[in-house]
Amino acid sequence: MSRAKRIMKEMEAVRDDPEANIDLEFVSEADIHHLKGSFLGPPETPYEGGKFIVDIEVPMEYPFKPPKMKFDTKVYHPNISSVTGAICLDILKNAWSPVITLKSALISLQALLQSPEPNDPQDAEVAQHYLRDRESFNKTAALWTKLYANGGDANSSKGNVDQADLYGIDQSLVTEFENQGFEKDKIIEVLRRLGLKSLDPNDNETANKILEELLK
Amino acid sequence: MANDEDYQYSSSDDDFPEQQYYEPLEHRDITNNILDDYEYLNYDTDSLESFNSDVDIVDGMAVSHVTNPNKKRSIEGAMVNLKYECFTTQDIFNNMLEKVDRLQPMFSIPREDIILLLQKYGWDEDRLLEDWTNKMDGLLIEAGIHINNEQKELPKSQRGISNRDFFTCPICCEDQIKETYSLECGHEYCISCYRHYIEDRLNKGNIITCMSCSLALKNTDIDELMNGPSSEKLMHSSIKSFVQKHNENYRWCPFTDCKCIVHIQDTTEFVEYIRLHYSPYVLCNESHRFCFSCSFEMHSPADCEITSSWIKKAKKESDNLNWVLSHTKECPKCSVNIEKNGGCNHMICSSCKYEFCWICNSDWKPHGSSFYQCTMYNNDELKTQTVIEDVSKTLKRYTFFYRMFNEHEVSAKLDWQLGQTVGNKIKSLQEKMGVSWIEGQFLTESLKILNEGRTALKWSFAVVFYSDSSHNLTKIFVDNQALLANSVEDLSALLQIKSPETIMEKKVEFYNKAGYVENRTYALMECGRELISKGIVKITN
Repeated sequence: MSRAKRIMKEMEAVRDDPEANIDLEFVSEADIHHLKGSFLGPPETPYEGGKFIVDIEVPMEYPFKPPKMKFDTKVYHPNISSVTGAICLDILKNAWSPVITLKSALISLQALLQSPEPNDPQDAEVAQHYLRDRESFNKTAALWTKLYANGGDANSSKGNVDQADLYGIDQSLVTEFENQGFEKDKIIEVLRRLGLKSLDPNDNETANKILEELLK
Repeated sequence: MANDEDYQYSSSDDDFPEQQYYEPLEHRDITNNILDDYEYLNYDTDSLESFNSDVDIVDGMAVSHVTNPNKKRSIEGAMVNLKYECFTTQDIFNNMLEKVDRLQPMFSIPREDIILLLQKYGWDEDRLLEDWTNKMDGLLIEAGIHINNEQKELPKSQRGISNRDFFTCPICCEDQIKETYSLECGHEYCISCYRHYIEDRLNKGNIITCMSCSLALKNTDIDELMNGPSSEKLMHSSIKSFVQKHNENYRWCPFTDCKCIVHIQDTTEFVEYIRLHYSPYVLCNESHRFCFSCSFEMHSPADCEITSSWIKKAKKESDNLNWVLSHTKECPKCSVNIEKNGGCNHMICSSCKYEFCWICNSDWKPHGSSFYQCTMYNNDELKTQTVIEDVSKTLKRYTFFYRMFNEHEVSAKLDWQLGQTVGNKIKSLQEKMGVSWIEGQFLTESLKILNEGRTALKWSFAVVFYSDSSHNLTKIFVDNQALLANSVEDLSALLQIKSPETIMEKKVEFYNKAGYVENRTYALMECGRELISKGIVKITN
């Protein structure tokens, strides 16, 4: 019974502190173990201005076992899977302690957006991008924030977004291969698979590798 | 099937319809066997000098007693110098406590605190001592033994259980809590939440700290809270994680429910082992023999590499093959469904009395007097096939060997079940025949040898699968395999005997057959090693 009581108490605590800009609500009134939480992207990061929604499943053993959290909102971040929204954060795993609340866990996620841990990545492709070219990474992460985390109004523009921008791939690189007669989708797929965002014009070896992959 | 009901699925040990005729098996005199083998193995002398000399020696030992200690070692892999110790977690735990007692006068802090420090240092005494001399107080704070004086936000409290009125626990949010627990840090929670929390952490093997800060719970605190010796459980899981972390030198016995840990101090010898294509087998205190390097059961004549790729392949292909390997077979004569319930492959259909071999489904008669032809894969038959059928040929070849492997595994399991009854047999020998316990041990010994023989036989099919079948040595290996298969079946049939009188009458036969199986096992292992070291085995997946 303590679990229900604790969850209700946690809801109350979130409601009593509107300044934290954190929301926590049940998905349906019938099930108190499935919640959605949300928080705002930390300022002065590429996530600024976004509202990030997190799916929360509270296990039977809560609070002795950590809640299962994953991002519903697509996030471009080294420790968050760009596909599934799975999160790599120690306090949600072995460093969990019963004193941590859903609210404090959401705040930790906010802090994770602020300071990524690229050496312990969830999404290797994103982490590589982060380590190799921070500026380009920030651009992509900001684009994703604008596209996916900005509430309903961004949805309309989603169709027009260039796939190359979406994965932070250098436009000129894509154009170069497009001029050789390859399909854009295919080029992007290959470049993503190879983890390439841009290319040194003198690097013939890599260029050949891309060609090889494209011709497969 | 109309005939199904005719067949009795036996459930009790006394009812082996297929094996009721063990007597007609033609058992040759052991000396004849040796001579036969000797000649047989010498039929090709030019390329295999060394190999034959090995066999020579082994066969020379055939007359020696079953429990010859020198020969035991040879089965373990001929290299005798592997030094290892076998522990249980309890042994290690006791060693730890001794260690604590040794350190206590040096540290002059309570024993419980030393345990915490050792846990923090993964039981590495030297590293702990080094750090201890460098930064004594810092270490005590780091390990959560002393409170960090900088965090003073909470009023200091007594370590232990307190009785309160109307306390609201921040974990479960229940009010009117009567009993609470806290450490000196003052982070206070209700006792049931604390118990829950500890219960959850006991299996992780790490130091359990206060839920809010890094102050550690000592073993005495845990026991006080849990009303019992729970800290011991923590110690055991701490040891478990220690073993996992030091998997270079420690290995859990891979056998189900076995709690032994084998420790090898110096693993540099392994290089030599691997160079000579031996596997480092160890024997745990429960008499389970396993390979220290790959944590598999004894897999000779296969080496670790063959073993792992065979297992991988088996996992990959088993879905396709399961239908082939269903547990029942139809009698080749009358099509009654037959379930195999003993280790022996000599089957006698309960309905039509047809005697056949479980492995090759053909008449038993040619099996009894000579070695098994059915363990040899008939390559000639396939030569007639066209290149287009190559793929199905490979699969067919694999299927054949996998089936052989599987049959022997199943047989080994059934033999093991048989082993459960051996104890009873010895008892009945004692009661009915007045045989002393020690004298009855030849049954246990024979069973052990039978198991080893089967295991070697089983793995030998993995070796043959990966071997170049055109090579002469492979042929010799296969012949050796057949000889072992034959001797194993003989011994297995002997062990099926129920009546104590017959068992005692055949005691010499037990010795002879068991000794023979042992020698054949060794010969097959050596031959396999030769095969591997000559590079005739090629692993392709």
